[in-house]
Amino acid sequence: MLRTQLGRQPHKGSNGATEARMQHMVVFSVGGQRLAARTEEIGGVMPWTGLTAVPSDTPFVRALVRQEKGCLPVFDLAAKFKRSLQDGEPLCLVVKHVDGPLAICIDSQVPSLHMVARSAVQYRAGNDPDIAGTCIAGEEELPIINLTTLGVSSNRPA
Amino acid sequence: MGLRGHKTAVVSSGLAVRFLVALMGPTHVAFPSHWVRGIVTPAEGGQDGHVTWANASYERTDLARRLTIQAKGVTAETRIVLYANEQRSRSFAVDKVVGLIDVERTLIQPLPAQFRGGERERLLGLFVESSYIALIANPFWVLELPSRTNVLDVFALRVSERRPGEFDSRLRLPSAALEEASAMSVGSAK
Repeated sequence: MLRTQLGRQPHKGSNGATEARMQHMVVFSVGGQRLAARTEEIGGVMPWTGLTAVPSDTPFVRALVRQEKGCLPVFDLAAKFKRSLQDGEPLCLVVKHVDGPLAICIDSQVPSLHMVARSAVQYRAGNDPDIAGTCIAGEEELPIINLTTLGVSSNRPA
Repeated sequence: MGLRGHKTAVVSSGLAVRFLVALMGPTHVAFPSHWVRGIVTPAEGGQDGHVTWANASYERTDLARRLTIQAKGVTAETRIVLYANEQRSRSFAVDKVVGLIDVERTLIQPLPAQFRGGERERLLGLFVESSYIALIANPFWVLELPSRTNVLDVFALRVSERRPGEFDSRLRLPSAALEEASAMSVGSAK
């Protein structure tokens, strides 16, 4: 359920050295906020099936969503960025979180897969530990979100 | 006041825990039924903050507020659950009683680790039913008692020791509820 967008990236051949200089990123949007994430941090994309509210004190973690025979906790990334999800049928982004699989409700736009030159990726620590840095995917400069540690070290709004 | 049904979600001969499932606001909350002493209507519950039933007194607690759930308010389906162990008793309102369900111990999931706040004290875990996900209230927290580890093991029953249709003798509901629940459970319990 990912769209690939390789054509916009610099193409220098298919040898291993070139591959090593590239970073695979997934670009998705939450309430219109475009974000990039490392592909290895993503477990899949599914239709959003609705959620079960959990009376929780944990910031942005206040629901469960069904997945197959079980369920996943939901991180409300839209609330973190003070956004509202766009119209349309939202999607469920399954994240390989350090504490176990985690679901994020994202906009209906299907995430796209980008190969980004490592030189176009800048990792830097900022005020929000959930943001790893920025990258240029396509013609956009996008924040890179740390999905695997989402909410672990920061419960603050973005 | 009766239960809406008794369902068995267990097919193996392992351990199971019997829950009373109730709706509080939009949330399905499951209470280990071992400590359910009765279910009464608000009118039967009295107005002075205590419910007296079968010569026992149950202090009222606003469980929805403690769980930070927005309850619906009193409706025709509101019930007061009488909950107690040997040490403590409490009564609390629920918006609707869904019924009793036996859940195999292995099908009970802990609260995912991403939940890191006070909910970990209040909720022991969850189980997934066909039409809902039920959150399991910590019965020690409900009774405002110090919690302990492996709480659910206290309530686990060996399924193979019960005959089909047999009701848990430790569940002492008011007689009307027990009769109704037993009648509804015939043919559904395995």
